[in-house]
Amino acid sequence: MSREKLRALGIDLPLLPTTSVGSFPKPEELQRARAQWARGLISRDELERLERRATEFWIRTQEELGIDVLVDGEQYRGDMVTYFAENMRGFEIGGLVRSYGNRYYRKPIIVSEVRWERPITVPWWRFAQGLTTRPVKGMLTGPYTVMDWSFNEYYPDRRATCLALAREIRKEVEALIEAGARIIQIDEPALSVRPSELGLAREAMQIVTEGLPAYFISHACYGAFEKIYPDMLALPVDNFDLEMSNSNLDLLEHFKRFPFTKDLSFGVVDVHSHVIEDVETVVARIRQGLEVVPTEALWIDPDCGLKTRTVEEAIAKLRVIVEAVTRVRAALA
Amino acid sequence: MNLILTNAGSYPRIGDSPELQVLRQTLARFDRGEASEADIRRAEDEMVRRAITEQIEAGLDVVTDGQIRWYDPISHLAGKLRGTKINGLLRYFDTNFYFRQPVIVDRLVRERPILLEEYRYARSVSSRPVKPVLTGPYTLAVFSLVERGEYRDLERRVEDYAAALAAEVAELAAEGVELIQVDEPAIVLEDAAFDLFAAGIRALAEAKGAARLALYISFGDVSTLYAQLQELPVDVLGLDFTYSPQLVERVAVEGSAKALGLGLIDGRNTKLEPEAEVTAALERLLPAIHSDVAYLNPSTGLEFLPRDRAFRKLRHLVTIGMRFKS
Ligand SMILES: [Zn+2]
Repeated sequence: MSREKLRALGIDLPLLPTTSVGSFPKPEELQRARAQWARGLISRDELERLERRATEFWIRTQEELGIDVLVDGEQYRGDMVTYFAENMRGFEIGGLVRSYGNRYYRKPIIVSEVRWERPITVPWWRFAQGLTTRPVKGMLTGPYTVMDWSFNEYYPDRRATCLALAREIRKEVEALIEAGARIIQIDEPALSVRPSELGLAREAMQIVTEGLPAYFISHACYGAFEKIYPDMLALPVDNFDLEMSNSNLDLLEHFKRFPFTKDLSFGVVDVHSHVIEDVETVVARIRQGLEVVPTEALWIDPDCGLKTRTVEEAIAKLRVIVEAVTRVRAALA
Repeated sequence: MNLILTNAGSYPRIGDSPELQVLRQTLARFDRGEASEADIRRAEDEMVRRAITEQIEAGLDVVTDGQIRWYDPISHLAGKLRGTKINGLLRYFDTNFYFRQPVIVDRLVRERPILLEEYRYARSVSSRPVKPVLTGPYTLAVFSLVERGEYRDLERRVEDYAAALAAEVAELAAEGVELIQVDEPAIVLEDAAFDLFAAGIRALAEAKGAARLALYISFGDVSTLYAQLQELPVDVLGLDFTYSPQLVERVAVEGSAKALGLGLIDGRNTKLEPEAEVTAALERLLPAIHSDVAYLNPSTGLEFLPRDRAFRKLRHLVTIGMRFKS
């Protein structure tokens, strides 16, 4: 199983490794600084100083909580697609588009050939990994999602766009590996948007990961996974990180019918609720997961990025996860 | 043949300049308790006026109010009926837009008009005819959750939503509206129940009085449904050509007894389609339409685009459409 792959990469993890999906909330000081920077009131250096401080805070916090595989918390990102669009050639950042209610975002526009010019996430990964001896995940947005969440004015169709992005995103993966990253997460939240394009998403992921020495995770969320399961297991990654608790663990029923053949990062707390789950609830969810996925293959984390919670809520949710995992591990021992 | 240039529904409610952020800011102030319902209403009025002005400036013959007051295509109608409450977010088809899902908790009853006042305001600030747009009963029914036993039956949901929407249609018709658009995107979903969808449309058609009813379908390939759609008692059939490479040929070959709404301009991508392509499609399609009018419009509402791009799309549409104006 993938544990051997991890060991071969020099990573030894306990049973039920705990981790996070990616983003953490930005401390108030950093939120203010971002707004000031946008209005030209503070320098880029000053903003980056605060981004580093916030990253350090989250690394310390995860260590203190006892999380096994850390993330840098994405304190330097706005949106998960726009961030990459801003740092690659070929994109223009468009005007505001509504996402729901009174929420808007800037949707990137592909206007010329997309090109990876220099490492994007590597300096941040290096900084975060330099602060801890625990493994820090490299974090990227996958080609299918970047394609689906951008306008396209350059490539003839979705397929050409997606495959071109895949070839460029692979360069970022190679750069992360060269810097020393061994666990790399490539998020594809758009994976289930058009079930007929699952083959394209798979082909793109193949381009991104093929032959590279890393343990690959892919996160997806808030989609109709029942429509692409079990076909989605063909994606060439070692671990799927799925939102499970928001949908009442419905997916487990599908896993009973068609065995889940990869490692599973199992989302056990809802990230869109202020309510902090109690430990018993999370223990029960983990046990349900263990009924369908081998113990060796199960990782535990929140449903999705925690950036929409407050700092206190995010920490409280992570603490519940660690406590629940500690109990289940004790029972398994 | 008269080719009428129109919009297919929404128009962006925000733009980059400060005066185009008035609605966003008022809603944010309302959330902090610093603005009233009346303030929201004024901000909406302002953005409706701007949406209409821009559509007219782009050169459209028939405009919409931009659906500026709609939280989303589902909850704006379903949420205003008695018997529903509004739930969590769900992705709207294959877009990056999310709507709030209605939950039916009690008997569905329309207590008061929903669209009439919105229409009256839009007409009062428009020098061109305004086309009211509503989401159809089948789509509302498919996207509703159910907490009340009898509504587990989809047919029952369609029936009661159709009754409520028929009352809306009747009121708009009595107001003198010439053209009413009904959006039924859910018919493109896998396993869609055509009979139930058709029953909902029939109920609306019975209420249309002297108005013309336009059925618009977006977000999927309707090629295989084309013949069946022609049988429905509507006056105009709006088709999204961006999903169906073969739809132009099908329509050209099979013809159309109805007026068609030609969604040849992609409302979801900023790219301006090559004029020659759209022109070639129009040259194939227009002779096949056995009606004295046809409509040229974007494939969907324009809210999926940034404001400057939405306007550019409409200009592009008008530039191409003008060549076919008699
Ligand atoms: Zn997610």
